[in-house]
Parts: sequence; structure tokens; C-alpha cells
Amino acid sequence: MAVSARRRRTGIAAWGFALPFTVLFAVFMLVPVASSLYMAFTDMRGRDLRSPWAVNFVGFDNFAEALADPKFQQAAGNTLYFVGVAMPLTLAIALLLAVLLNSGLAWFRSVFRVGFYAPVVTSIVAVAVVWRFLLQPDFGLVNSALGVVGIDGPRWLTDEVWAMPSLIVMATWRNVGYSMVILLAGLQGIPRDVYEASAIDGAGPVRQFWSVTVPLLRPTLLFCAVITGIGYLQFFEEPFVMTQGGPLGATNSVAYEIFNQFGFGNYGLSAAMSYILFVAIVILSYLQFRLLRTEK
Amino acid sequence: MNRTPRLVAAATASTLTLALALTGCGRSDEAGTTDEGSTGITDGPATGTIEVWAMGTEGELLPELAEQFEADNPEATVNVTPVPWESSTEKINTAIATGEVPDVMQVGTTLMSGFVGLDGLAPTPEAIDPDAFFPGAWDTTVVDGTSYGVPWYVESRVLYYRTDLAQEAGVEAPQTWADLTEFAAGLQDAGADEGIALQTRGNSTALMYLPFYWQAGGEIMDDAGEFTLDNDAQVKALEYYSSFMRDGLAPPVLVEDEKVQNFVDGRLGSFVSGPWERANLLTTAGDDFAGKFGVVPLPSDETTASFIGGSNLAVLADAANPDAAWKFVQFATDPATQVDWFGISSDLPAVEASWEDPALADDDAVAVYEDVLTTARSTPAIPTWAEIEHELDLIIEQVIAGDLTPQDAATQMQDAATSIGTGLD
Repeated sequence: MAVSARRRRTGIAAWGFALPFTVLFAVFMLVPVASSLYMAFTDMRGRDLRSPWAVNFVGFDNFAEALADPKFQQAAGNTLYFVGVAMPLTLAIALLLAVLLNSGLAWFRSVFRVGFYAPVVTSIVAVAVVWRFLLQPDFGLVNSALGVVGIDGPRWLTDEVWAMPSLIVMATWRNVGYSMVILLAGLQGIPRDVYEASAIDGAGPVRQFWSVTVPLLRPTLLFCAVITGIGYLQFFEEPFVMTQGGPLGATNSVAYEIFNQFGFGNYGLSAAMSYILFVAIVILSYLQFRLLRTEK
Repeated sequence: MNRTPRLVAAATASTLTLALALTGCGRSDEAGTTDEGSTGITDGPATGTIEVWAMGTEGELLPELAEQFEADNPEATVNVTPVPWESSTEKINTAIATGEVPDVMQVGTTLMSGFVGLDGLAPTPEAIDPDAFFPGAWDTTVVDGTSYGVPWYVESRVLYYRTDLAQEAGVEAPQTWADLTEFAAGLQDAGADEGIALQTRGNSTALMYLPFYWQAGGEIMDDAGEFTLDNDAQVKALEYYSSFMRDGLAPPVLVEDEKVQNFVDGRLGSFVSGPWERANLLTTAGDDFAGKFGVVPLPSDETTASFIGGSNLAVLADAANPDAAWKFVQFATDPATQVDWFGISSDLPAVEASWEDPALADDDAVAVYEDVLTTARSTPAIPTWAEIEHELDLIIEQVIAGDLTPQDAATQMQDAATSIGTGLD
């Protein structure tokens, strides 16, 4: 009796402590998630805002419509292109920078760390202004520099071929600092003696990198890959501020298309698109876990 | 990292849950329109508090005008809340959905149908005379046959050109389509890199293009409410519009940011824009530059046409003080008040009679707009217009890039518009 009464009291107390979080979570996470799922299966439009229950269920029609829409297909292709190039590029550069910072330049380490991390915390609006100047076709820094060596640079942001690579470089520049800082911390966690032992066994720096650094850094790399992948699949800010998805839809991304459809009031369709993107994120993360998991 | 779309989704979703009107699932057959307004406005001064939402510059300057109203109506108080343009649509949608609305609201001409679709706006009383306004401006208040607001101020698109270059080239301001081509070529011969700049891609490309379609005799919709985009006028206008880029008279891909600077430097001969561009040019180049450029109406083909924009004043369906609200709207759209407002804000009056006032008639930089406005037109007031316009932007861009023939483009425009529909039940 006494035991069960005490247990009940402990249970109530525990729920009491958990209540603030549970309420916040329910109101700000569960309800929006449930509403958007509901929207994805109905024909809800902007004008139904006043009576959100007075809509029809349409099953998977929204999903079918999204997948059959050539604009969505183009956006999906663009997003895959972006993730496929930008994610490995970001991780490779971040790893390279982290290794360089870890192995030498000890005095300047914090200077470089701040330098490479600054773009991560800088507002996209400020970044966009600067990058637009850099990529300006006639008097921008990039084309002026190319002009010095006799190359006639393209119109970066308005050229169908070059717009996406321009955004890839910009996104990489913006995000490389984050992974670099995480990887640097991971590198500092690798014991010195492992390197010493491998040096005695005759391993040079390249061999050490592939046989010691990379395997021991796997969990950190996995973390960076997952976080970067999730962020990159939701590629939105760069095309939004730089190209408006153009030219000719070459930088339109899935997230941008969702944003547009929301703006047009096609709530059902855009909610369905959001869930398609969500599934893509789950799949990508799963593949990364499979690929980079620590071997037992 | 890129969280904005999810935030929008979350915000909308939580708005929905706040607005739960538990009417059961499934669409009801009868439309939820409440026809209570449209009677009239009472006589006598206004009383009580009038809440007004206005956007951008208008929101900042409106209190100055409201003081005049309060002086005439001592029993009334006007509270103006400035709302940033960027967040205005979401804020108003939320307000309408929850019923926590102001009495009067400034509504951009192209946004009317969306708020009417939510049953958020009250029909205009008969006491307000439609004929007092530019017809194109009044049309923007009419959604599906009923007017839901009153034109407040207007803007329209005209041709800005370098007078010095035109003089050097010996070309006169263009009257017809052929003139404009010749005009652009002339400015180019006189030293400009490009004779004219027309928008080639991105948001609002269609708004720059459509005047040419109207000039060619095209209509976006017929009287029966069907889209009429696939026709000879469309082909002709697309052909003409893209000819400037193809023939090297206009930048094949226009970078908006460079336009004003190139014009000031004399590298660009002319461009199409609205009344706000004058202030832009004078801030960039200094007040002396006023003598170097001129403003003329767009050329005409079968007919004369330009795009009309601006804002309307609307009274909310759930307004707490509708009678005083309409009195305020009546005051703000009175010919004399409109002239005062022009003095305060430089916004062009929507009331035709105001243009006889010397403040407007004697100012050459302003007077040019009067003729333009009488024939200027707006895009259809249908809830789906933003989506259709986005499709048109993309199709026009492909025509300019040479990826699509004008014939195919016209067909695609019609298909896109019909598949999106009007959004009116």
C-alpha cells in the first residue's frame, strides 16, 4: 500500500516536472506536425483558413500531383545536384582545414577558427549583398580577377549553367566553418600516441591520414555528414536571396518550391511536398548511417 | 540551417489551430458570404475609435492625414498601425482568421482577391461613386462582380529615357511599337550600350510584359471569366517584347541592380518603370540629373495601355466600427484630401478630379501619368493570380532565352492558367 502510494506520488511529481516541456512540445511541435500532415491529405487552400475543417480529404492526390509536376521534378533534380556536389565538397574542405589547423599553426588556430566560422553566424542578407558584388558580371571581383589572366568570366548568377555552381560555392563557404569546428574538436580527441605508434611502424603523413585519422574520426564525420545533409536538402536561402530560383528554374529547390506553393495558398500541395522532402531527408540520413557507421 | 519554409509551415499550422471553427469535415455547398454592408453611410460626423493598418511609407505618414480627420470629427480617434509590407499578408490572414481585425486596412491592388476569398472584407457602400476613380483602379476593388474597397493611390508604368542621348540621336519620344524599336536603336547609336532595358526574368516579369499584350489588343480573361491567353495578340506581343533582347537593343538578361547606375552613366538609354524611380534616380545621381531624363507614356499599338498598381482602402467584414470606418475611407478618397495626401506622401491620387489641382497639373514630372492612368489596367482580381503570374514569368523568360517559340508560349500560358483556374467558386 505505502509503496504504491509513494510510487503514485513520485509519478505525479515526475509528470509535474515534465509538464512544462510536454505542453510546449505538444503545442509547438505535435500540433503543427499533425496539422501539416492533415493538410497534406486534404485540398486545403489559403481561403480555407477560416474554416480549416471544411475541406475534402483527397488521399494521396497531392503527393501524386507534386511528383508529376515538372517544376517539382526540376526542383528535385536541382536539389540532388546541390546536395551531391556541395555536401562532399563541404566535408572535404572542412576536413582539410581541420587537419591543417590541428597539425600546425597552433598560434593562429583561434584566429582561423573565428575566420572560418564567421560566415556561419553572418546573416544571409549581408552575405548575399557581398556575394552579389563578388559575382557581378561586369565589375565584380571574381570576373575582374579572371579578366587579369585573360578569361572572360560568365554572368555567374544569370547563366543557366553557372548559377548552380555559384550557389554551391557560396553555400560551401557559408557552411564549411561549422563542420570544421566539429571536426577539429574530433581531431583533438585522437590520442597522440596512436600517431607515434603508426610513425614507428613507418607510416607517412598520407598513410596516417587514411589509416588513423579518418577511421578514428568516423563518428564525427557521420555527425557532420548528417547535419550538413539535412541542411542542404532544405536548400532555400541562397536561391531565395540570390537568384529567385532562376535562371529558367536552374536553381529552384524543393524547399523553395514548397515556399512558393505556400505563398500561392496551395496548402495541401505544399504540405505534401514538405513530407516528400522529409522522406528524402530520412533516406539520406539512413544511407549516411549505413555508409559511415563504425565497424564493430 | 535553412529553416524558413518549416517556420512558415509551422506558423500557418498554428494559425489554423487557433482558428478552429469546428464546422465538421468536408466542404459545405453554400458559400459563406454575408451580404450585410452595401447599404450606405450615415450622415453626421464619425464617432469612436477607428483602427487603421497601413503598410510601409503609407503607414508612417498616414497619422499626418488622420489628424485632419480628427479635427473634422472631434468625437473620433484614428489609431494607425504601420505594418511592414513583407509580413503584411500573413498578418492580415491571421487577423481575418481569428476575427481580431482593424476597421480599415490598406490593401495592395493585387492582394484584394485573396482577402475577399477569406470573406475578410466588407462590400463597398453605394454612397461611394465608382466613376470618381480611374476605371483601372476601380476594377482592382471588384472581385467576382462586387466591389470590396476604394482606390486610395495609384501608380503606373512609363518609359524613362535619356533626353541628351535622344537629342543627339535625333529621335523623338516613341508613339508606336515601331517607334520604340527605332528609338532604342537611336539611343544606342548615340552612345548607350543598350537602348532599352526590359525585365527578362524573376518576379513581376509578367507585369512589365502585359502592357504590351494589352496594347496588341489582348485580354487576360473574357467577360465570361474564361482565360483568353492563346491568341495572335499574345504571339505578336511576345515576338515584339523578345525582339529587343534578340536584336541586341536590350540586355538579354537584365540585372535589376545595375539598371539605375547604367542609366545614370549613360550606358543605358531607357527603361520602363513606375513613379518611384524618379526619387531613386535623383538620390543616385543628384538633383541635377532631373534635366537629363524624360518620362513619356508607353507606346501604343492597337490601343494604349499600361499597368496600374497602388493600394486600396478596405473596411473589414468584422470591423468593430464600420460606419466611422467608411467615413474615414470617404474622407481619404475625397478629391481635396487626395491632393493633400499627394503633398504628404507623393502618392498619386486615384481620384480623377484631384488631377486638375495645380499641385499635380503644373508638375510635368507628375502630369504625364494622368493620361497613362486613364487607360492603365490591372491584372484580374482572382485569388489564384499570383500563381498564374509566376507561371507567366517563367514562360516569358523561356521565350526571351529562345527556348520557346511565341506560339508555343501562348499555348502554354493558356494551359497553365486554365489548369490553375480562377479560384472563384
